[in-house]
Amino acid sequence: MKAIKYIILSLTMMLSMGIMAQEAAVLNEATAAATAEENLSVQEETAAVAEFAPVGAAEEDNVWQEMLDFFQTMGFINIDWRQLLMLCISFFLLYLAIKKQYEPLLLLPIAFGMLLTNLPGANMFHSELWTAFLDPNSPAYHSYGAILKEGGLLDVLYIGVKAGVYPCLIFIGVGAMTDFGPLIANPKSLLLGAAAQIGIFLTFLCANAFGFTEAQAGSIGIIGGADGPTSIFLTSRLAPELLGPIAIAAYSYMALVPVIQPPIMRALTTKKERAIKMKQLRAVSKTEKVVFPIMVTTVVALILPDAAPLIGCLMLGNLMKECGVVDRLSKTAQNELMNIVVIFLGLSVGATATGQSFLNIQTILILVMGIVAFGCGSAGGVLLAKLMNVFSKEKINPLIGSAGVSAVPMAARVSQTVGQEENPGNFLLMHAMGPNVAGVIGSAVAAGLLLTFLG
Amino acid sequence: MILLTANWSHIWMVTLLGFGLVFLLLVVLIYVLKLFGFIMRPRIKMEKPAEVPEAVGAPRTESSKTITLTGEATAAIAMALHLYYNGVHDEEHTQVTIRKVERRYSPWNSKLYGMNNLHRY
Repeated sequence: MKAIKYIILSLTMMLSMGIMAQEAAVLNEATAAATAEENLSVQEETAAVAEFAPVGAAEEDNVWQEMLDFFQTMGFINIDWRQLLMLCISFFLLYLAIKKQYEPLLLLPIAFGMLLTNLPGANMFHSELWTAFLDPNSPAYHSYGAILKEGGLLDVLYIGVKAGVYPCLIFIGVGAMTDFGPLIANPKSLLLGAAAQIGIFLTFLCANAFGFTEAQAGSIGIIGGADGPTSIFLTSRLAPELLGPIAIAAYSYMALVPVIQPPIMRALTTKKERAIKMKQLRAVSKTEKVVFPIMVTTVVALILPDAAPLIGCLMLGNLMKECGVVDRLSKTAQNELMNIVVIFLGLSVGATATGQSFLNIQTILILVMGIVAFGCGSAGGVLLAKLMNVFSKEKINPLIGSAGVSAVPMAARVSQTVGQEENPGNFLLMHAMGPNVAGVIGSAVAAGLLLTFLG
Repeated sequence: MILLTANWSHIWMVTLLGFGLVFLLLVVLIYVLKLFGFIMRPRIKMEKPAEVPEAVGAPRTESSKTITLTGEATAAIAMALHLYYNGVHDEEHTQVTIRKVERRYSPWNSKLYGMNNLHRY
């Protein structure tokens, strides 16, 4: 209690000093013009008086002026309501990450990046530098040198996002942690992964109807892929001004998969469908697992070169894991590399969420359309699984269709949980992992296509 | 107004062509995977036991019946065997320590009242 009292007391003192300093500054500005004319005559008088005045008085004035200058540099004086609100939002996100554990690995650095960028006077991120970076008429157009020279810490870290480096490095780690075995055993899962991408394209249409540009609409649509690195990769290329809200929407909805998906899954399926037991998957040989990443990279990159950075990095990570001869590299990709890049990516993405760019009607629209995209994607997967049941002999549990949105492995876990509510002896997890990893490939392909059409 | 100013023909083209191409590309991958799976599928060669011609009219023995096991049944048998053999094997105490043993005092193990004092009586 005593500590709290002292903190409140010191804060009050600092605030009052700050207000005094601000008043003094305003008074100075107002009187500066008026006194300018008098200065000449006063200077003459003071010059005459100064010869006889005591030295201590002048020093006292200097100290007082320096104190005023110091207080004028304080964040308390310069903060505006937008920054204050953004600080509150960052505190709330930190609470969600720490207390509720909603995607804490990413939400925590993002929220802290928001906190740092909205501290007035800290000068860690300069959105005006990045505006000049994109302006063809500016001397700093596409000049990383200008960023390094004049930017703060977060500006330097943001170069990795701007150059599209971080999402690809994260994909190496994701690939090194993913088992494509269920997908190789049941290639039909790729269809469910493709169907779940309908959310991306429906939201692209909606966003255009709401007045966003085509490039912005493509970036908003990719939220439906439920794949954070892909969303960041595409948005940094197509609509960097929307990076903050889109990254936060993508990661928030990924954390909310267990809340958003089950009602959609239950609404679109019958009890009998949810209780369908699927046949055990066949065994997959090591050779198949090793050749799969090489083959997918070659096929996808030859058909769609714009998807090569994401798919290539994903498959490189997976190859390192499956080949078994570069165990050290695989472990590094899964742990150290992934963790370091997550810190850099989270901080720099959070830094883009400044008050001016975040607090507007666009952000609310993005959040609303993001959830529509996510819901449509989940529904698309479930409906295609039902359609496949009409034509195929081997029945598919439609619940695994919702895992076609990426969100690995959360979406697959949700399929398993909802399936076990109807039939506790039903194990859908491995079956759902097939569409789940197919969704990662599907969203990367969709991002490549949008980049080709709109970039 | 916004709806009118947008280039809707291009937007529809991106939507339909984009979704169609995602589907097409993944369908291509399905066929590539299927072909690949057909070539690379692990094949376990089981040696067939030499067929012994049964005597005419001999009763059908238990060993000649074919047994089919599902994956779940195999897993259950494996688990049961694992638990059984874990239980059968006696677990040895592997901790090797030198512990000081302190016994409470008792006149029965006292040296004072032990063999050395017999000569007193």
